[in-house]
Amino acid sequence: MADQNKTGTDAKFYNEILSPSELFAARSRSHKIPVRGQKDFFPDDSDEQRQRLEQSLTEHWSLISEERVEKLGNLVKATWVPSEKVVELQSPAGKFWQTMGFSAGGKQFLFPEEALYLMECGNVQVFYQELPLSIQDGYEKFLSSSTVRLQEYQVFGHLKRLGYVVLRFDPSSETSSYAKQLNLPQSHDRSGKQLKRKRSASPTTPSSHTEAQEESTADRMEEDTCSRESQEDKKYPESHRAISPKTSSTQTATASPEDGGGGTTWWMEDVVGERSDQQPASAASRWDFSSIFFPDLGASRELLSSCLASPHPSLLPGALAVGVCDVDPWRSRINLRDVKMSLKEQMREEEKRKRRSDINKNREVRNCRNWAEYRELMERREERRSKGRPAHLWDGEVTPLHDPRQPIPTGELLDKISVIKSTNLLEGASRLQASDEWRISFNVYQPDTVADFKKSNQGKPYARMCVCSFDGPVPDLRAIKQLAFRSGDVPVVFAVVDYGDISFYTFKDFQLPTDVFL
Amino acid sequence: MATEGVETTSEDVPVPGKVSTRYDLEKETELRFEVEAGEAVEQVELELLTGMAEVFGSELNRNKKYTFGAGSKIAVFTWQGCSVNLYGKPEVAYVSKDTPMLLYLNTHAALEQMRKQAERDNERGPRVMVVGPTDVGKSTVCRLLLSYAVRVGRRPTLVELDVGQSGVSVPGTMSALCIERPADVEEGFSVQAPLVYHFGSTTPGTNIKLYNKLTSCLAEVFSQRCEVNRKASVGGCIINTCGWVKGSGYQALVHCASAFEVDVVLVLDHERLYNELKRDLPHFVRVVLLPKSGGVVERSKECRRDTRDEKIREYFYGFRGVTFYPFSYEVRFSDVRIYKIGAPSIPDSCLPLGMSQDDTQLKLVPVTPGRDLTYHVLSVSSAEDGEEGARKGIVESPVCGFIVVTNVDTQTQVMKVLSPAPRPLPRHTLLIMDIRFMDMK
Repeated sequence: MADQNKTGTDAKFYNEILSPSELFAARSRSHKIPVRGQKDFFPDDSDEQRQRLEQSLTEHWSLISEERVEKLGNLVKATWVPSEKVVELQSPAGKFWQTMGFSAGGKQFLFPEEALYLMECGNVQVFYQELPLSIQDGYEKFLSSSTVRLQEYQVFGHLKRLGYVVLRFDPSSETSSYAKQLNLPQSHDRSGKQLKRKRSASPTTPSSHTEAQEESTADRMEEDTCSRESQEDKKYPESHRAISPKTSSTQTATASPEDGGGGTTWWMEDVVGERSDQQPASAASRWDFSSIFFPDLGASRELLSSCLASPHPSLLPGALAVGVCDVDPWRSRINLRDVKMSLKEQMREEEKRKRRSDINKNREVRNCRNWAEYRELMERREERRSKGRPAHLWDGEVTPLHDPRQPIPTGELLDKISVIKSTNLLEGASRLQASDEWRISFNVYQPDTVADFKKSNQGKPYARMCVCSFDGPVPDLRAIKQLAFRSGDVPVVFAVVDYGDISFYTFKDFQLPTDVFL
Repeated sequence: MATEGVETTSEDVPVPGKVSTRYDLEKETELRFEVEAGEAVEQVELELLTGMAEVFGSELNRNKKYTFGAGSKIAVFTWQGCSVNLYGKPEVAYVSKDTPMLLYLNTHAALEQMRKQAERDNERGPRVMVVGPTDVGKSTVCRLLLSYAVRVGRRPTLVELDVGQSGVSVPGTMSALCIERPADVEEGFSVQAPLVYHFGSTTPGTNIKLYNKLTSCLAEVFSQRCEVNRKASVGGCIINTCGWVKGSGYQALVHCASAFEVDVVLVLDHERLYNELKRDLPHFVRVVLLPKSGGVVERSKECRRDTRDEKIREYFYGFRGVTFYPFSYEVRFSDVRIYKIGAPSIPDSCLPLGMSQDDTQLKLVPVTPGRDLTYHVLSVSSAEDGEEGARKGIVESPVCGFIVVTNVDTQTQVMKVLSPAPRPLPRHTLLIMDIRFMDMK
């Protein structure tokens, strides 16, 4: 009030001094903001809709065109400095200084968005070229792509009106990635772990592929040898047959057994049928069971003569001499006792019998001469069986993710079969090239911290704002990662402006639940 | 010896209170008699008067009285004809002409032929597996063949895989025994330094995995012995199996054949088993079907249990409980480690992913000594008393002896044991058996 005279002359051009009655009217004016109501999406050409729209419009127009009455003393004077794109305060700042503005070179400045907001609130009057700026001028002059875009200002204003402390985000104030690594060993760990995981999951298909090929060629070779052997086998029976009459004749010749000197002839007596019992194509085993005679009651009747010749006394204890043995009565006495089996068991046995075939029908088995060879064969088969995986799955370029023959812990397996890798927001973000398309505009502090807020020591923001619009593209993963990395451990909120409406979105890390804990 | 004995009717020495019955046997016939089972039963004595006779392959001495206790089932066979006297009152006694002895003898002849060939070619002798259902005379055939083999100068090995009715050691074990002389008519084979493995139960079904593992162990040890001992190699082995021939039992037989690399399988009186083995064993294994003897008696469950009990008693007290004097002393819980082989099986759904049930069957589970340990038979494992690291080998280590827990005092943490040797225990790793023994007599 003291310098009213001085300002009075200046104010002549632009100040209307209101009469008391006008002031009173302005004061008792309704402060209600018109209700926006439901949004109509389609014109239905009805009078009702038109009226409603008209009414709403006039309400808004009247609101905007309303003259604002401010107390001159409450207005802080400031000047717009276009070269610096800041507003310099000319008179002492008000309460807003706690959360807005900055000092430089002994002067106090406001950022354009702050100045505009304060203008709208009726706290600041900005002059440019000695003339006061209207709010409309402010919008035109202050908002530009080099300072603050309209959308950003909308977000700024919105948050300010809600009570948040909103400050410009200064990228340089953020710690460098190197400092982050030092301060945040966790993120370092994460990336290390990731690398490791990637290495373990690297596909081994090329090597296994060649292995399979080798195996298949080996198989072929084996087939070849087998077929050759089979040819030899075919020759064998003939020679065998050629021998048999001779042996039978020697038998008749050696009717009476003689000791030792007779060499092998003395146990040739019972040979007759036994020889043909042997499968002709099988390889000779160590024991020639055609000459070593067991009283096998299971052998067919023509193979086992009904009368057993007496064994040679030299084979028997106490130099026994025993007579012939009649086998026939014993045949009928085999297995007189019933096998006790339930019906179910019987059926199962029957089923099993049908399914299983004589292993000796296989040529490879018949070619084995002893257990060592047989076991080797079994091992080979086992190996082949495990290697003989379905060709249509493994021979192509695309193979199953995991070879079931190689047992690995379940955790690793799950990791291996997860086609879409789960990712962390900060994962690999440090390596991304910074782009200008997306940037963080503001640091936001919660309203309840305003009382303790210090501009010199701002502390950790509650959130950081990235402003975009529904017209623009949706931020891609790359942008999100980059911003998240830039922001560090403060969440980035995307404020999406749709003309007057602002929606807030945020992306958060979360872990898909796994049912295996390792 | 071989000459026919003069038909002298030896004047019957009157045995007070005993009836004497004389039997004249024609050649290739046998006298079968059974002694009643039960307590305080009169023993039956056998005496060969003239001729020659054998009991399960062991020859009888003339004018020597052989005593058979309760529950004995004996067949006296003669190749040439003989006369014997029985003193006492057997439950049954009859002469039978119907014996498959000639077939068994022919089998022996064939095996001997193989041994001769092995000797000549510097190879290993025949390995024979005797299989068949229960109560067909598997053990008897084994004894017969082993006795015959020893009598012609061989050194065969008896491999006893019948965990229920072991002929070598206590039940619940699997063992191998080198046979150097024919079986004693009364006692059977003399048990000297057998190789015994702990199985722990009387049926292989309780832990078939362990059963197969121990079979492989025995086979490996036997093969090693064959490499260094030429005589044992030529003598080969005769494997006695248990009477379980279905399902896993059958698989165990096939596994055993493969582990021992058997050359001959003797199937006693079971045509189906014969056909199955013919199909599942490679062609170079000779599978032979033999009849069972008509004299084979089916043993009841109780009878088997009594035999088992008797076998354990014999281990501690000697034959007929008169030869050995076992020791009884106290063992502190802290001095021994007691394990059970095989964790209890749990349903697959309760296992962690990627684990299979098989892993548990060979696992050693520590047993906390408690009152329920009483009367259990424990094997003293020959595994070195190492720390935890040595636990791995315990399953595959042979047993050096057995003890029975007679009393457990949980207050003083001490148990009283019956042991064949005085204290201290040779080793401190004990394996618990399912089998219990009450020292009652």
